[in-house]
Amino acid sequence: MPKILIVDASKCVGCRDCELVCSAKHYQTFKSSLSGIATIKFDEISRDVPMVCQQCEKPACQAVCPVNAISRDEETAALVINYDLCIGCKACVSACPFGAIHFDDEEKRPIKCDLCDGDPECVKICPSEALKYEEADKATMAKRRESIEHLPELLKLITGEKG
Amino acid sequence: MFKGKGYTGRILRINLSTGKISKEPLPDFVVRNYIGGNGFSVYYLYKELEPGIDPLGSKNKIVIGTGPLTGTLWPSSGRFSIGAKSPLTGFWGEANSGGFFGPELKYAGYDAIIIEGRAKKPVYIEIFNGEVAIKDAKHLWGRNTKEVTLELQKEDKETQVLCIGQGGENLVAYASIMSNLHRAFGRSGQGAVWGSKNLKAIAVRGTGRVDVANFDKFIELSKEAHRKVQEDEAARQMFTYGTNLLVSAKQAIGEFVTRNHSTGVFEGAEKLAAEVLKEKFNGRPRACFGCSNACKEVYTTSHANPWAPDMVTEGPEYEGTMAFGSNCGIDDYDMILYVSDLCNKYGIDQISLGIAISFLMECYEKGLITKKDCDGLELRWGNKEAVVALTHKTAKREGIGDLLAEGVKRASEKLGRGTERYAMHVKGQEVSGQDGRTHRSVALTHAVGARGADHLRSLVTVDQLGYKAAARKRYKDLFKGKSKKEQEVILNELCNPYLENYKAYAVKVTEDIFAIRDALVVCWYTCGWPPIFWIEDFARIMPLATGEEALGDVQELLKIGERQVNVKRAFNIREGLTREDDTLPKRFTEEPMPEGPGKGQVANLKVMLDEYYRLRGWDLETGMIKRKTLKRLNLPEIEKELDKLKKMID
Ligand code: SF4
Ligand code: SF4
Repeated sequence: MPKILIVDASKCVGCRDCELVCSAKHYQTFKSSLSGIATIKFDEISRDVPMVCQQCEKPACQAVCPVNAISRDEETAALVINYDLCIGCKACVSACPFGAIHFDDEEKRPIKCDLCDGDPECVKICPSEALKYEEADKATMAKRRESIEHLPELLKLITGEKG
Repeated sequence: MFKGKGYTGRILRINLSTGKISKEPLPDFVVRNYIGGNGFSVYYLYKELEPGIDPLGSKNKIVIGTGPLTGTLWPSSGRFSIGAKSPLTGFWGEANSGGFFGPELKYAGYDAIIIEGRAKKPVYIEIFNGEVAIKDAKHLWGRNTKEVTLELQKEDKETQVLCIGQGGENLVAYASIMSNLHRAFGRSGQGAVWGSKNLKAIAVRGTGRVDVANFDKFIELSKEAHRKVQEDEAARQMFTYGTNLLVSAKQAIGEFVTRNHSTGVFEGAEKLAAEVLKEKFNGRPRACFGCSNACKEVYTTSHANPWAPDMVTEGPEYEGTMAFGSNCGIDDYDMILYVSDLCNKYGIDQISLGIAISFLMECYEKGLITKKDCDGLELRWGNKEAVVALTHKTAKREGIGDLLAEGVKRASEKLGRGTERYAMHVKGQEVSGQDGRTHRSVALTHAVGARGADHLRSLVTVDQLGYKAAARKRYKDLFKGKSKKEQEVILNELCNPYLENYKAYAVKVTEDIFAIRDALVVCWYTCGWPPIFWIEDFARIMPLATGEEALGDVQELLKIGERQVNVKRAFNIREGLTREDDTLPKRFTEEPMPEGPGKGQVANLKVMLDEYYRLRGWDLETGMIKRKTLKRLNLPEIEKELDKLKKMID
């Protein structure tokens, strides 16, 4: 069973370590647009949301690619771009509903998460457990459990009770 | 021009008087002798500022410096430095902060920015990679740092902004510069320098890259370093609770600065504990660029909060809690959060403002000033409304606020009536939240700091927080050739916060090493507290980043650090500094600590100062730098200039 990369934005501290390590692994440099993951910062509310490819089951990027350059890795289930085929048309960039594909104007190619062949660097460096790489069932059940732990808070909000 | 890695190789120079914008190559000489970060300020300010200039005049210059590690994966390397002659002290001025602006500047293609002259009307600088423009800031002037930041991010949310608030515009002598809303370049009045130049903000967006010399090894070491931070127990504590952990740690040794430094224990300390803060305001960590320590805490106030309902803010740090809390006799986090946030918006240093307010309160309590002097405010300890009122007044320079905005040195000189005794400052900068009586090394740190009473340039933590293992490694020369028994005694004395022994040595070594820290630039957390990285770690990573083998030599790095300390010293000597300026408010040397675990303690500054001068190669009597010291550090221009001024000792 391939694992999934699951993001818990409420835990992210916004350090961008994940971006740095990603561009480092794939392109031997530090450059945000060469990273498959990006932390979107919202300073006004002091929040940060890591955005990364969801490796969709019905991938829009793959569907729009006119040269079939995007395929699914059999082992990791990651959608991987074959740059030998890619013509750099950016259709995938436009199609992704999460904006998870970035076009780098130096390399002149779309950049997306490839799950590091099943050993994602970002997960290993993240200091806050905002990123996890686990079996789908385990990860989603854990998420459910955590939500329930937050439920009293949620209930308070729903019923309008002030905390 | 420097061709190695770790740098962009470019310095941006902007003249606000003429509008001229130029890009200069980064000289090899600067890299090899000053590294970068604050080293850029040290080199360029000494070289390019005439002595005696008005810090708020057009001849002062601003240097913004990143370092070779900025923008890389090395932990906590999002910090950068801003320098200019200080309007608060008239001496060396500089501040350092974190956030995301520094890396962005480097991605835009610059190691540093030098800003000269003075704009005729309010402007801001916009940088998008190679494009640089000076723009009209009419719509930004008069607005607070939050409004300005959000306004400049309107078109591109990824833009990083550095800006001043009303504090800087109104030339509050300790105005700050802010980035990411809550990261403060707090000390030495850098914000007022910007205000005096009509410079409201710098907005930068960079989409480039930072490369290092030996990529594989750099990455390997950086990952290992992140792991070290993530596995360190004290760092994890800081991740969870932030810097307010110090409240309890300091109360325990009688160093929790209370009521204008009159005592080191606060009866309300329990209410100000980090755990209380986290619980009450749902604290959660947030980090600067590339940091696994994440010492920043985000707090959210409730709908029913009396001061600031439904507010999301970052901070206060320990210093803010001290400044507006214990220092003013206040044990109410609701109010402290509000004032801390207010200071960030106005762009005012929390430490200096807190100490300015407590100065006035003490004078009032002692009957030296009256209600009439203070716009009718009842300045009793613990008066929260008065603290808030004085914050507004100072930012706007209204009524008594106009006096407070000058800092306690000038305010007390103006007031007279014996108030000078309660002005807690060194060289004109207000004393930060440590007490030299119950944390002896900091007495010396405060006294000799180039920018005045400051803790961050040489704070020794081993005596304060009892880090014995770190003490043995960091100050290892003390133990050389000693028997086991002697070593034990030395270690105990070094780590004893109530003894002068070995503190001069520890301060000197720490100051040299922290100069390197500020050149790379990395955060002081993870170096000083918790004690994870030290000079050996810097020496390991520097050649991998830059390709400069010499920067991998600990002795060479120590020499560069020492050089920077001495250039700052020369800068101050040129401005008239003597031994007399390396002093402390009498409170620390004459008034024994009145209560608590450190009851009866006073600081013997003289012994530590003599020893420190000896170790530095400075003259005991005058505090001047000796010729042979300048020779050893290879500073011939400075030797020549100080000679001419007759400010050097043979
Ligand atoms: S490494 Fe983790 S905490 Fe840091 S930005 Fe990425 S997801 Fe957030
Ligand atoms: S330790 Fe704190 S101040 Fe230092 S870089 Fe990390 S988050 Fe920023």
